[in-house]
Amino acid sequence: MEPTEFLNLYLLSVTIASLLANVAISLYGVFYKPHYTKKIIAVSILSDSANTIAIFIGFRRWLSPSQPPSVAIATNLSREGIEKFANVGVDPLPQALVLTAIVIGLAVTLFLIYLGYMLYCHYKTLDMREIRRLKG
Amino acid sequence: MVPETLALNLLGPLTPTLIILVFLTPLFAKVFRSDRKAPFILALLGVLYSVVASTIVFLYVYQSGKPLVYLYGGWPPHFGIVYEVDAFNALLAMLTSWVMLPIVLYSYWYSHHFDEASWYYTLLLGLLTGLLGVIYTGDAFNLFVMLEVLSISAYGLVAYHRERAEAVEAAAKYALIGLVATTMYFFALILIYAGIGSVNMALLAMLSRFSQTLNDPGVRYLTLLALALSLWAFTYKSALFPNHFWLPDAHPEAPTPVSAALSGLVVNVGIYATARFLYTLFGSDSMLSGYREAVLVVILMLGVVSGVVGAMMMLLQRDIKRLLAYSTISHVGIAYIGLSAGFLTGYEEAVKIAVAGAITHVVAHSIAKALLFMSSGVFIDATGSRDLDDLQGVGRQYPLTSISMIIGFLSLAGFIPLIGFYSKLLIAYGYFVAGLAIIPVLIIVISAISLLGYMKAIVAIVFGVPRKSVERKMGIGWVEVTLFLMALSLIVLGILFYYLTPIFEKASLDLVKNVGTYVNEALNYIPGGLSKWLPYMR
Repeated sequence: MEPTEFLNLYLLSVTIASLLANVAISLYGVFYKPHYTKKIIAVSILSDSANTIAIFIGFRRWLSPSQPPSVAIATNLSREGIEKFANVGVDPLPQALVLTAIVIGLAVTLFLIYLGYMLYCHYKTLDMREIRRLKG
Repeated sequence: MVPETLALNLLGPLTPTLIILVFLTPLFAKVFRSDRKAPFILALLGVLYSVVASTIVFLYVYQSGKPLVYLYGGWPPHFGIVYEVDAFNALLAMLTSWVMLPIVLYSYWYSHHFDEASWYYTLLLGLLTGLLGVIYTGDAFNLFVMLEVLSISAYGLVAYHRERAEAVEAAAKYALIGLVATTMYFFALILIYAGIGSVNMALLAMLSRFSQTLNDPGVRYLTLLALALSLWAFTYKSALFPNHFWLPDAHPEAPTPVSAALSGLVVNVGIYATARFLYTLFGSDSMLSGYREAVLVVILMLGVVSGVVGAMMMLLQRDIKRLLAYSTISHVGIAYIGLSAGFLTGYEEAVKIAVAGAITHVVAHSIAKALLFMSSGVFIDATGSRDLDDLQGVGRQYPLTSISMIIGFLSLAGFIPLIGFYSKLLIAYGYFVAGLAIIPVLIIVISAISLLGYMKAIVAIVFGVPRKSVERKMGIGWVEVTLFLMALSLIVLGILFYYLTPIFEKASLDLVKNVGTYVNEALNYIPGGLSKWLPYMR
């Protein structure tokens, strides 16, 4: 294995592992951190990790370990060139999905923050252990 | 015979038009300086359009016997967003529109509780858009987007009475975990796209069955993980047992017509999406066969637990809206019991009947629960309290509403000749055909427990002795008539059930068996056939 190839593979594995760790940590944060703001921060970490993973999916065949992601560049814009590029280029669909997800996440997070403000107005605290007027 | 062009021309512009109406609502309220009337008229127009469109689409799909495909912007499946409507989602969308109609009418009467009614109608129309979008779409990612449209409207509506601390608290808890759930579904979609290579439902259904490249165990486990994550999101939305914790808080705290929409319609979306994923996308002959059956058995158990827990918790409630909310949990459990019959491989007839029962149960529960929430709203408005002790005997002032409420409760409990009886019967019969007698017994047990809860509410409201004299409020006559018409529809659907069985059977067949037609109708629109494009897909 070439040193650069090894380095690529190593860095890719580290990235993927840390993203999955991010997901796990943020889930822990959402369910076990008592403070409402920290819960919101954990949710945004969760959605950002999911978005980053989606971007990585766009690099074709990163699932098979022998081929780390490489970016093909469209140089030849003839019919054949585009056909060839469509086979190897970075998949644009996950990027479109991520764009949509970011916008949606922004809207919902803003709404959550507003709810947090209203919670503070009513309860004078954002500690979810003390906000328990409902039985559940 | 409904022409295909008419059905397509009504189906395609449906959600875009509704979205336009959503954003016009606050504008109209400002321009016409009318906070109640102008937004109400817009909402009514939107819901009338969706009633007409969904009914005609349903008639077309039912008569032609094949799914209807609408291509947005003319892009073929996989490359663009498509709406694909078979008998199953056509039926659910028609149900959604028709139940939304009385809810919007009722909102006009209820709007004296609102300080800014225009925002209420904005969110309510947004809810309708999201519901129809989720149900009609043939694209799993579009389902995510529409689920978010639906969810954020629902969060906003739950928190509508923001001067009430409980409402804000319920909305915050609902929205926080709801965002985690939808993000999990997004994550699942990414995994599905990485493993299978499409987010179009018809293509996923085909590739999960026939693709040779998917025999790799890594891809199979990836897809299984994705299925688990998305099912968690869907069961959260429909409040199946371990994910039910938010519902008894969120549904009662919303304004009453919204409680009707949330309990009657929004939980259906989770049931619908679960059915789509477990039958159409990953059916018994797909790459997940074996695992899928295990998942269905788990859902069956959760459904039973959900039914029992919901029924038991109903007995403890003093608050009429919380009682109805727990009854929703119980009935979602029963619908999931019917839906999870797919693990009975080899008993196709049994699966078909039980799933038809589940679809019937969704229909029966939606109408009855919307009716019950709205009639409880009439009583709560009269007394100013949700406590059953304060509601004693208030039903005597509103005889028509009381009758409607009793019919609704009887339908939920499963009395002949209401439709709620036939839905439970079909589910039980399906399991009997497969020789599993324990499930029908469990359904009877759940019904028996919940009957006590219903009786408690009926006895208190209708037959109780009033503690203080309650005056009948003026201008409520047409609301009572609307509620009575809904109750009448439960009876009519029950009496005509013999003639309506083919509709539910067709919906069940389209879901369980006719996946090939579902796939073919979408593939027909791919120019040059799929094989030409496969190398360019992942």
